[in-house]
Amino acid sequence: MLKPASPPANTEANAVFKGTAMPWLFLLPSLLILAVFIYLPALQTLRLAAYKANLILGTERFVGLQNVTELLLSPAYRQVALQTLIFMVLTVSLGLLFSLGLAWLASRPVRGSKYYRLLLIYPYALSPAIAGTLWLFMFNPEIGVVNQLLGSLFNVKPRWLDDPILAFSLVVVAAIWKGLAYNIVFYLASIQNLPGDVMQAAEIDGATPAQVFWRVAFPLLTPITFFLVFTNIISALFDSFALTDILTRGGPYFHNAGITTFLVYQLYQDGFVNFKSGVAAAQAALMLVLVAFITFMQFKVGEKRVHYGG
Amino acid sequence: MKKIMLTLALLGPAIAQTAQAQTTVEFWHSFGDAKRTGWIQARADEFNKANPGVKVVPTYKGSYNDSLQATILAARQGKPPALVQIFEVGSQLALDSGVFQPVSGIKNVDFSDYIKPVINYYTVNGKVNSLPFNSSSPVLYYNKDLMKKAGLDPSKPPTTFDGLLSACKKIEAAKLGVTCFGMSLNGWFVEQWMAEQGATLLNNDNGRKGRATATNLDSPAAKKIFSFFKTLQDNKYYTYTGKLEDWDGSDAIFTNQKVVFHITSTADIGNNGEAAKKAGFQMGIGVLPIVSGTKRNGVVIGGASVWIPKGIPKPQAEGALDFALYMTNTKNMADWHKLTGYYPVRQSSIDLLRKQGWFTQTPLQLVAFNQLTQTIPSPATAGGLNGAAIQTRKIIEEGVQKVLSGSSVDAALKEAKTRADAALAEYNANFK
Repeated sequence: MLKPASPPANTEANAVFKGTAMPWLFLLPSLLILAVFIYLPALQTLRLAAYKANLILGTERFVGLQNVTELLLSPAYRQVALQTLIFMVLTVSLGLLFSLGLAWLASRPVRGSKYYRLLLIYPYALSPAIAGTLWLFMFNPEIGVVNQLLGSLFNVKPRWLDDPILAFSLVVVAAIWKGLAYNIVFYLASIQNLPGDVMQAAEIDGATPAQVFWRVAFPLLTPITFFLVFTNIISALFDSFALTDILTRGGPYFHNAGITTFLVYQLYQDGFVNFKSGVAAAQAALMLVLVAFITFMQFKVGEKRVHYGG
Repeated sequence: MKKIMLTLALLGPAIAQTAQAQTTVEFWHSFGDAKRTGWIQARADEFNKANPGVKVVPTYKGSYNDSLQATILAARQGKPPALVQIFEVGSQLALDSGVFQPVSGIKNVDFSDYIKPVINYYTVNGKVNSLPFNSSSPVLYYNKDLMKKAGLDPSKPPTTFDGLLSACKKIEAAKLGVTCFGMSLNGWFVEQWMAEQGATLLNNDNGRKGRATATNLDSPAAKKIFSFFKTLQDNKYYTYTGKLEDWDGSDAIFTNQKVVFHITSTADIGNNGEAAKKAGFQMGIGVLPIVSGTKRNGVVIGGASVWIPKGIPKPQAEGALDFALYMTNTKNMADWHKLTGYYPVRQSSIDLLRKQGWFTQTPLQLVAFNQLTQTIPSPATAGGLNGAAIQTRKIIEEGVQKVLSGSSVDAALKEAKTRADAALAEYNANFK
């Protein structure tokens, strides 16, 4: 093999395509795939949002913005949106706090820490459907393990799945538990990469363990926390689906809607159970706006507040 | 490797030739378990052997909802399967989709052998749209041992709401640490109790004379059903998992002996019976308890039927119908019943089962049969048809759930009616 003569570094850095045809040619395969599987369906969805349509009947009737205004005015949809917001705030904040705490503990030099870490991470390997089924079995009010324990110890049998507050809390806790492992993996990795000298310096200067954590480690972890906040928001918005479908089926019905019915589950119900594709498309469009807003915030906040060290 | 390729290349034309001579009948169904899938495959194999010109290929296509959706989309692209199993609540939707043809139009079929309430459900405007396949109705399941412990006579299970309530009172007094009654919260049962009272759930003769435009949830019949749940709740006689339509959860509560009475489909007699044996208690089957002081009109059939899309070549449609008729013939339906607990849909199958002594071996099944065969044909017992039935069923469930969480019967019914009627109007607007 001949060693290629290394070109001067300067020209490589400044290498540009001559003309515009070449770069487009290279982009074409990706663009084609994106167009077929992302852009066209997205455009179709936006178009469909302006129609009253039924998937099975194949009927379409143009209604303009009626779908969207109806949704925004509907007490049921508003309740679902509010529930989603509360669910999101709770799962993201509690979930991150809890996983940061656990990751911090698991990264301490204690005996068997490897096993703790393994046990903390394994729920990530469970599919949401299996997790939902597990929780459903555990919280069956009559024969579930939880109520058998509570029944024999305190003689109470809470109605986990049809008491609105309990059902909502249960779904929140289940979602946090399901997301824990993912967050812990990232936090563990980041904690292990924290600069040891800075921490030691703090300790030598007489900082208490709490001070080391909150004043030194926590600020150094902001980039990963920031990343996790947004991945968790997205997963609270979209991945809650399988869990609620299996655990509560969106119920119990409270006021104007099922209390564990979140935006994406409502969309699924309307689009694929009741086959109202127009209304479902309008919901998809609204969710698109929501995600666009979150992404915008991500960049905006990211520029200002996150401490990237260096 | 080369050899295999060569063999394939040589075989290719041969395979293609037989395929040309054959009519392929794709059959999409929604049975994911080995027992039922295996049974269907076995019938297809027999049929294919006896009819070399036709090749039936059964495929599991996911849930009823998924397979309905898949069929419609395939039909729009001009490639529908020749035979599809569709659940009973999807009947009006399937009819309105315009994708299917009535089976009675494909060729002359003698429908006189079919059990009346079964064939009536699938007959609309005098046309049999689909061929009944797996059919069931709800019955009372009871724990004989717990009944005895509570001082009740297991040979006389309650047959009315009042009977059930007074049994509950005795069970409560016996302090067995169990709840009286548990069934899944399911709109299907409400539909049944309307029919038992001879009352239609929907206007326009249950949506059979014309499109249903309103529910009859403001009727006295509906009020009696909802009030029953109010009484159950006030006395703590009822329990369920809390999740709507949780069939498995409620079966588990019953087979774990946490309730004395349970209501679910006849299709579960086999599975629940086995679970009861394992748990070590005697299970009994009784007729569906009905509203006290009303005449027993009978039950509405539940389950699914098989549909044939239009626009497929005539030989294919005929092949599909021939296979469906073979699969649901006298002997096969009796066999299917023994395997699954679903009703055989033919009168002759019942006669065959009787001749075989099936009912003396399994007296539990007899109750279920009598309930079905003694059903009085009427628009009420034919069952409600509406294209938004999946949604209205859930709305009714949510209405009952409101009663269980303390709402008044009138308020819950009023809200359920408003919501269900709105769903009907929204669906009907598709045809303007």
